[in-house]
Amino acid sequence: MILVYFLLVPILASLLAPFLNPKRATHLVSISFLIPFMAALVSLFQFSSYDFPIMNFSPPIGEFYILVDPVSNAFGLTVCIISAMVGYYSFPYMIHRFEEMGLGEEEYRKYIIIYGVYAASMLWLVYSGNLILLYIFLEISLITSFLLIYMYGYGNRRWVALLYFVWTNVAGVLTLVGFLLTAMDNSTLAIKGISAVGMTAWLLIFVGMLVKLPGLGPHIWLPWAHAEAPTPVSALLSPLTVGLAGYVLLRMYLIDSSFIDTYRDIIMVYAIVSSIYAGFAVFRQTDYKRLLAYSTVSQMGYILIGLCLGTFGLIGVVIQYMSHAFGKSILFMTAGGIIASYHGLRDVRKMGGLHEYIPSISNAALIGFMNLGGILAIGMFGEFFILRGVVDIYGSNLMSYLPLILALVFIFVLSGWYSFYTLRKIFYGTPRGMEKPRISRYLDLPLYIIGILSIIFIFPPLITVLLKGIKAVIGGGI
Amino acid sequence: MTEILLMASVVLLTLGAAFSLKDARIGFVASVISAVLAVTSLEPEMYFFGALILVIGLLNIITLYLSDNQIKGIDYAIVAMLIFATVLVIQSTNLAVLIGTFVLVSVPTYVLVMLSENDVKLEVGIKYITFMVFATVIFIIGTFLLVYSHSNMNPTLYVIGYVLLILGLGLEVGIAPLHEWVPDVFSAADPIPVSIIASIAKFVPFIVAFKLIIATANPVTSSITMFVAFLAVLSMFAGNIGALTSREPGRVLGYSTVANMGYALSAFVAVVNFDLIYLAIAGVLMQLFANSAGKIGFFTAIKDRGVGTPFTYTFALSFIGMPPLMGFWSKLFIVLALVYSGYMWLAVLLVINSAISVPYYIRLAKELGEGWGYGVVNLVALIAAIFILMTVYPPDWFLQSVKGIVGTFVVAGV
Repeated sequence: MILVYFLLVPILASLLAPFLNPKRATHLVSISFLIPFMAALVSLFQFSSYDFPIMNFSPPIGEFYILVDPVSNAFGLTVCIISAMVGYYSFPYMIHRFEEMGLGEEEYRKYIIIYGVYAASMLWLVYSGNLILLYIFLEISLITSFLLIYMYGYGNRRWVALLYFVWTNVAGVLTLVGFLLTAMDNSTLAIKGISAVGMTAWLLIFVGMLVKLPGLGPHIWLPWAHAEAPTPVSALLSPLTVGLAGYVLLRMYLIDSSFIDTYRDIIMVYAIVSSIYAGFAVFRQTDYKRLLAYSTVSQMGYILIGLCLGTFGLIGVVIQYMSHAFGKSILFMTAGGIIASYHGLRDVRKMGGLHEYIPSISNAALIGFMNLGGILAIGMFGEFFILRGVVDIYGSNLMSYLPLILALVFIFVLSGWYSFYTLRKIFYGTPRGMEKPRISRYLDLPLYIIGILSIIFIFPPLITVLLKGIKAVIGGGI
Repeated sequence: MTEILLMASVVLLTLGAAFSLKDARIGFVASVISAVLAVTSLEPEMYFFGALILVIGLLNIITLYLSDNQIKGIDYAIVAMLIFATVLVIQSTNLAVLIGTFVLVSVPTYVLVMLSENDVKLEVGIKYITFMVFATVIFIIGTFLLVYSHSNMNPTLYVIGYVLLILGLGLEVGIAPLHEWVPDVFSAADPIPVSIIASIAKFVPFIVAFKLIIATANPVTSSITMFVAFLAVLSMFAGNIGALTSREPGRVLGYSTVANMGYALSAFVAVVNFDLIYLAIAGVLMQLFANSAGKIGFFTAIKDRGVGTPFTYTFALSFIGMPPLMGFWSKLFIVLALVYSGYMWLAVLLVINSAISVPYYIRLAKELGEGWGYGVVNLVALIAAIFILMTVYPPDWFLQSVKGIVGTFVVAGV
């Protein structure tokens, strides 16, 4: 039960933070996310699964409650640790950015409160036990991230912020309409009270979340938004926010899987095409942040693939979310480190041999790319369970089974391939004769903490507890 | 008891207005007491409405107190009269009283709109009065046609009455295509009187119209609700596109009112399904409350530069419909009512419209906000912001309370 009260800590801390000086505010907000992180971890170990009622709403809306189970704990602890570490990271980075924009340190007060509310809204989203409550937090996270891009982004930031807002808000509207249709059929929106989700409602929610995820086609907003956002915001947007669309789809699947069951093959093919297309698009990028954004589209394809693959696939979805979040947040922070050290350097063509000058950031990038490629990090298990899911769902039919396995293996290889291609292009190779900058501890230590966590998660007891807990929620044998 | 309290309220506000020629503060005190008396005349189940109206009304009185005009002292009494009319309209089911309150809320604003710190704004006043007189006449003709046709079962007259009623309402509160006066008056007149016209004066027309439409609902209604839906959509788009293409804050807020009235009007289509009519009523009322608090805040910021940025952003986010602020819940209730009435397309258009309003509200918040907000004007902004933030605790109580007063949304003898 204590976890529920700890969820309040980040909100209170964010509201208090503007009254402190930037450094103290950073510590306060970051530590406030570490508290629910510990609580979620403990709760994961205890296999807790309970509802904490908040209030009863009149019929079409239904009960509001906090939903605690291993799946929300797995998402929750990921959100917490990354928000805490990116919080530390944003202190030197944003101060630097304000100087660049000609703003004073005063601006940090505005930044830290919006940042805190943004991260806290994502944390509350994964514990929401009512679809309206979930929608509320989805919208809060959207508007706060929009404000951050609008105020502190790079390039044509106002235009990019609006592009981001319009696309994701359309996604939100479609989802909300889907939720309301569900409310009409079930006369409640409490997750435990919903027994069936109609096909139209499912379609609306699915399309809405596909825009947010995003899949191939609606993905055009993402490279802009993730590249032009201030880097700490990119480091939350890409690893955490977009993947939450996967969380919503997972919850809907657990309520009623009819839609996915009916259109499994189509979604599967679409997800594979989306993932491969975005994977190849990575090679064409010359902007480091844009490159990472395309890799996000590719990785989100994994989540859609996992969604189509039954019990094992769903386990794959949860682990893939965690692994992508760990890896991508590290990578965006390395991009930020380069920007901060070399006065806004983002062009991959002008980089090369950076390992020589910024070894601490380069080594962190290696861990980040290992996560994406699924090498010796938690992503390994994500890929394993997705493959296991294919065997489970398509194993009986050799004609579809073989091409699918080949396609998936190709995607995994592609991820590793572009990872090491990028790594070589940016950090290894002939040094370009740049100067060696002084890197603030805030700009590299947080990366290693996330990196270490992503590696210790592949060892017992963490991995066993995680898998056992997720299986208990999703059901099915080992 | 109710009658005595109401009577006392009227007597007190009249005396206060008369004696304020000696000292404006008498008018202030008398108006505040009169407003409180009027609210206490309500039945206990309507106290929630009374309390919220009282907050909005007192905010109007305080903003008047902070500025100057030609009839200092009497202006408080005018607001007290608006509060009185609003309190009266929610509890009354009598047709004559309903029409009376409509006139009572319309006429005092004729004086208000001309006031300012320097000169009497005659030109604005004449423009405004012309439109309002038309609105009142059309509305009253519509009312009688509706009631008459309902007792005679005459569908043609019913449709004519319905259309006239909605057009009268549209002209009065500013619903497209009859919204032309709104941006002009809102940008030309003094911000403080405009904030009163944009806030507390909007309740009575909507409540009277909604009571009449619910009371006279019959099988023909479902064929004419499309008209309301059409006007609502037109109003949303006209308001938002107008606001997006305007620069002057007063004008932007005028167009924003047009859009907000469109959201409120769309809930009228819910009369086709009486099961969940309370959702529609709750939506309309809350939409008007959210609009009032936000408009008072923004207009105060236009008048006295120096309202804090946190406040202006709170108002802007509520107008955008960001959860968990009041503007979100009002739209959610309306959208739910629309979905239940089978108007899915209208619900979608409403939500899309609240999305396209984002740029201009953010711009307003940026332009009008100033620092962190200290000083007296920020008291008004603070109360308005707290009012809007009240729904951080999910407002099921509002829904439940409205359920309790659905019974009064009828007209006796119809």
